[in-house]
Amino acid sequence: MIQHIKKSFSYMRRSPFQALAAISVLAMAFFVTTLLIVVMYSSEQILRYFETRPQVIAFIKDEAGDTEIEALKSKLENDSRVKSVAFVTKEEALGIYEKSTADNPLLKELVSPSIFPASIEFSVVDLNFVQDVIGEVAKEEIVQSVDFTANIGGSGELGNAIERLKKITFYVRVAGLVVVSAMLLTSFLVLAVVIGMRMIVRRPEVENLSLIGATGWFIRAPIVFEAINYAVIGVFTGWLMASVMIMYATPYVLTYFGEIQVFPKESAMFFAFLGIILGMELVVGIIISLLGSVVAVSRSLRMVK
Amino acid sequence: MLEFKEVSKIFGEIEALRDVSFEVEPGELVFITGASGAGKTTLLRLLIREFMPTSGEIILDEVVVNKLRRKEIPKLRQNIGSVFQDYKLLSERTVFENAETALAIKGVQKSEWEERVNEVLKLVGLEERANLFPSQLSGGELQRAALARALVVNPKLIFADEPTGNLDLETGEEIMKLLAKIKDEGKTVLVATHNKEFLEKYGARILKLEKGKLVDDSKPKKKEKKE
Repeated sequence: MIQHIKKSFSYMRRSPFQALAAISVLAMAFFVTTLLIVVMYSSEQILRYFETRPQVIAFIKDEAGDTEIEALKSKLENDSRVKSVAFVTKEEALGIYEKSTADNPLLKELVSPSIFPASIEFSVVDLNFVQDVIGEVAKEEIVQSVDFTANIGGSGELGNAIERLKKITFYVRVAGLVVVSAMLLTSFLVLAVVIGMRMIVRRPEVENLSLIGATGWFIRAPIVFEAINYAVIGVFTGWLMASVMIMYATPYVLTYFGEIQVFPKESAMFFAFLGIILGMELVVGIIISLLGSVVAVSRSLRMVK
Repeated sequence: MLEFKEVSKIFGEIEALRDVSFEVEPGELVFITGASGAGKTTLLRLLIREFMPTSGEIILDEVVVNKLRRKEIPKLRQNIGSVFQDYKLLSERTVFENAETALAIKGVQKSEWEERVNEVLKLVGLEERANLFPSQLSGGELQRAALARALVVNPKLIFADEPTGNLDLETGEEIMKLLAKIKDEGKTVLVATHNKEFLEKYGARILKLEKGKLVDDSKPKKKEKKE
């Protein structure tokens, strides 16, 4: 095994430009792949953020008593379609209003707690349930009206925003898969061509080895290891370039998205996230290199008795 | 040890071998002779299953060579020390590495390689050329290197195809002495040659091929030839 690995490195040294071409293509493919994986992850996180934040507000009638409010709150908390139930009193609602109008004292003076209704805010686990839940809550006696949260512009806007995000996430996934597939196919072909060229150059050696009793594996092994070397070096280079770029951009991205956790927040988790991507890419890279080399070598060996 | 039973090999319309039958006992030195194109090299290529015979059977150590499955062929070749007319050395490996490669193919423990290669290089007189590449060797040295590679795996049977064909008389003589020495160590040695001088000198059994047919199987008396 070790002799085959050593031999594979000596083949690489003998044809540095072929090796460089193969590694460059693989590095570029996995650079783009790493970035696309991160973009797909981030878009998923953004979507999840909007899907899981409080989405529905049930405004409570002024005459509703504490017991009735508590009963409705409990009912919602026990509903498997609902999560993150919170009761907001009139005073708390005023506080939220004052906070949002802090830069305009005149607006603040014009209101009192009595004009803000108390409310129960909650989210649904899946937006497909939202219409049903709203309908059921609206029928409750103590509920004056039910609406989507106004935080991002009202009921219609939230629905539209999430739909848009879903579409964007879908397109990112599809485009990502298409680009990654194209890159991986290119890598496979380049590897097959490079290994095929290597086999043509090695043809007399392969024939001679075969005549003195070398098995197919003995002949193939250095070539297969050479392809694996290309894959490992290419994947690592591409991943490293992308990771450096992501790490450089992380502070700006996190500031831009504010409380939306587009990347894992803790350093350990962030590096584990990148590590998982590297692991997956190494597996894919090695599979591609094995396929590419086996195809190229088998074609060549068929010509040798 | 080795038996050819009515072996024929036809390439298109050319009959390279026709109903060739002979047996070789262990420890024998056998010269296979005949003009160019008589079928000497075809014998070797059939023996190592580079070709399949058109008809007949080749039996080596009770194994029917022409019935071996494809994946069993490497094992067969590992057990025959083949010395090819055009050497078939690995050009990108030194003499030492060429011999090592044969050991690696055979699956010999790496710890034994150095000692065995040195031993065989000493036998063929190439110790000082061990680190040279084939392109840096003379014809005689290439033949010795090929012989060293064949011997290093300690095969029971050596088949040398025209080992003196590209050499001057003196160097050819040295190679033949070496093959005779190997025979004396208990190996079975088959030498394909058209050099009549050696045939007479070593008094070994001679198989004469003519246009693919075995026309003579004789053993001249050694004493008479040596005188």
